Amino acid sequence: MTAEIFSDHKKKGYQLLKLIRPLLGGIVGLFLVYRLYIVLIVDHPYGPDTWTRLLIAGLILGGVYSLIAIGYTLVYGILFMINFAHGEVMMIGAFGGYFVFEALNALKVSGGTGTNNFLNAYPYLSIIFAFIAGMTISALTGFFLEKIAYRPLRKAPRLVPLICAIGASIFLQNAVQLLFSSQLRNYTNPDVLRRGEGWTIVINHSNVIVPYTGVFSFVLSVVLLILLYTIVSKTRLGRAMRAVALDKKTAALMGVDVDRTISQTFILSGALAGAAGVMWGIHNGLVYYYTGFIPGIKAFTAAVLGGIGNLPGAMLGGLFLGIVESIGPAALGINFQLKDVLAFGILIIVLIFKPSGLLGESLAEEKL
Amino acid sequence: MKKETIRQSFTTGIVFGIIHIFCVLIAFNAMIGSLLAKIVGVSSTITSPVVGSLIAYAVLLGIWAGWISARRQHEASSKERLVASTITGVSFGLMAVFLVGIFQIMLTNQVNPRDYLTNLSFPFMKASLYNLTAVPGILANFFTFLLSSLLGGLIVVGWNLTRVTDLRHKAAAVLKNGYAKIRGGSAKTQQIKKYVFYGLLFLLVAILPLKWGSYWNYVMGTVGLYVILGLGLNIIVGLSGQLVLGYIAFFAIGAYTMALLNAPLPHNILLGFWPTLVIAVLLAALAGLLLGLPLMRLRGDYLAIVTLGFGEIIRILLNSDILTSFTGGPKGVQDIRGPSLFGRAFNDIDYMYLIIATVILAIYVYRRLQHSRTGRAWLSIREDETVARSTGVNTVNYKLLALVLGAAFAGLAGAISASRNQFTGPSEHSMMASINVLCEIIVGGLGNIPGTLLGAFALKGLPELLREVENYRMLAFGALLVAMMLIRPDGLIPSQRPTLELEEQQDEPPSFDSMKPNESKPTKGATS
Repeated sequence: MTAEIFSDHKKKGYQLLKLIRPLLGGIVGLFLVYRLYIVLIVDHPYGPDTWTRLLIAGLILGGVYSLIAIGYTLVYGILFMINFAHGEVMMIGAFGGYFVFEALNALKVSGGTGTNNFLNAYPYLSIIFAFIAGMTISALTGFFLEKIAYRPLRKAPRLVPLICAIGASIFLQNAVQLLFSSQLRNYTNPDVLRRGEGWTIVINHSNVIVPYTGVFSFVLSVVLLILLYTIVSKTRLGRAMRAVALDKKTAALMGVDVDRTISQTFILSGALAGAAGVMWGIHNGLVYYYTGFIPGIKAFTAAVLGGIGNLPGAMLGGLFLGIVESIGPAALGINFQLKDVLAFGILIIVLIFKPSGLLGESLAEEKL
Repeated sequence: MKKETIRQSFTTGIVFGIIHIFCVLIAFNAMIGSLLAKIVGVSSTITSPVVGSLIAYAVLLGIWAGWISARRQHEASSKERLVASTITGVSFGLMAVFLVGIFQIMLTNQVNPRDYLTNLSFPFMKASLYNLTAVPGILANFFTFLLSSLLGGLIVVGWNLTRVTDLRHKAAAVLKNGYAKIRGGSAKTQQIKKYVFYGLLFLLVAILPLKWGSYWNYVMGTVGLYVILGLGLNIIVGLSGQLVLGYIAFFAIGAYTMALLNAPLPHNILLGFWPTLVIAVLLAALAGLLLGLPLMRLRGDYLAIVTLGFGEIIRILLNSDILTSFTGGPKGVQDIRGPSLFGRAFNDIDYMYLIIATVILAIYVYRRLQHSRTGRAWLSIREDETVARSTGVNTVNYKLLALVLGAAFAGLAGAISASRNQFTGPSEHSMMASINVLCEIIVGGLGNIPGTLLGAFALKGLPELLREVENYRMLAFGALLVAMMLIRPDGLIPSQRPTLELEEQQDEPPSFDSMKPNESKPTKGATS
């Protein structure tokens, strides 16, 4: 960082700065240790069964966050812009899956396994259709978003694309609200993935339910993350993406079609967000036009946590954030309403003490 | 006829068709139609629109499509332009036919899509078919678009033939001359003119609140508060170039200080308006200092995200149960006492004057800061922080100062707002409010006062005027933001200063830059 290059530590401001960071860190650290001590050792309010439940919920949430966070990281790595509308891309994907399920539920077929609607006669096929639809429509949204709103602004100062992204986010939210009304919509899952059902394990003489939907979405997100990682590290497209992220001009001179690569990046990140949206719908059950906003911001937090522009970082950041959000309030003995405060608090602390993120690389600092 | 022309015109029609389908699905056509119907005195609603209003909307959109299509053909003959707009009309009409065809199928099969697409009721779909039977309705739709698109082409051709453009240039020249004459004269006359102008403005501002009535006082008061907020954020973003997203948190601190120290519930501390105002400003400034100290290392997007997180934390804390006994929780604080001067309690007109006085004060402070040594230090930090530091600017102190001053402005606005509304609650301090302020200063033009004023009117005043289109307000707002950034990224009134300084720096061939990422290199008038 420049602070180290120009080591004008004698100035008053810097001395104050040097003082305030350890001080702040000390206070926060002491507080956390104190609360953990009180809750875990003195009060001891929850048994292992509750902790398992919270951990499971956290992992499921973390998987979804990871998928969305990857989208932020991919786009930030290449364009150095926060794609503020990414949460809305996810929401649109969730709606895509919702409509597919509704349509297949209304579709009557003969044969199958006794039931006469397509959704339950061919549940696995239905799920695949829903994901294909959700991912496609999200990928298309991402593609057109880039083409219409972001591409003309490549050369503009950084604030301009950010405002444009905010505008796009507002537009997409309200377009969905006006099209489909603002009512909460209940996801119709096929019977194999009924919400609230799952495997039961007995811990500490009480039943802990591992929900089918949760396991499904966690496994699927891990599979998708591995798939994406392979794409980025092994394929031609991935190589082009990394080249463009490093240096657009040189990449162009080496024969990489920069515009096309950026489009493909948006398609890829949109598809992942779409999958995350469908998962969100299947697991949580309710979608409406505002569904994408909060997960979007959280996922961005996750991406920053892991070090933005860093793929494994975004994945781990997402998981970490999901778990912290789920376990944190219980472990610190604070109100569950404050889980978001915890998430943002972690973000602020990480950025103050290690701005390049937990898995940060030196690259991230140049991009500051 | 070139192949390219045909392809271009056809695509234009398809794009307009998609826009049309989207507008129909969100019933935007019925809304525009009802506004048009109102002009001629017919009442038409969105759920069951009058056919004429839909036709009027369709004709307008068709003319626009034809116009665009004909204008796209550069240096083409009149005939070619007309052919282009006809092709556009055909493809546009086909898209419309596709839509109403589906409507017709749904009508004959009695399928009601309202559960999913909330605007498509049977009367609405019937009206889209002009209340005709299947084939005539579809044909009528097709020909509406075809003919109106052709009309658009004709308008372009006619425009070119009659040389209206020359007239326009002449009119612009006359206006420009007149403006120069008004502005011109010797230094002394200019000075006098300036005083006269400001005097008239002052008189207008002094008289208007008495004549407006309480509704307008309320609306313009809100605009005034947003001007103060915008100026404060402009110090941070526009002058010193730090992107802060959670700005409304400082507003919340000001508002809650006023609320908690000057309301019967929850604490019953009635400190009085004026001392509380001072405390609110000081507390907000202190919050800016405390937030700023650890963050001064961060730049750009990272700072934006941290401040966004800070704003959200403040909002969630205010909204949560744990602080309910202290801040009133989700319900907020009611019955906040107003100020009194010379033993007289403030009414809405007095509030308006208070806000006007505060706005003038804020503008004065902002101007003085902008053109001072501090302002130049901020400018240098904004353009390049590293260079600024190496030339001896104490960047940390100046950045902190910007944050503290901006926070103080927000605290001031928050305190006045809470006392004027006699209420403050967590819902007022959502992230959308922060983004609104940011959009305000960017729409108006970053870093300058007229831009902030204009932005506040555009963002807070206009939506109040357009109450009828309430549902479509945010949609239009989002679309406008995107369009603004694409067409005029420097805002409606771009700042003058950086443009002048960058004149001599334009020695690079611009085509080379097309592959560069948006680095901190400043382009015309805006900051990184």
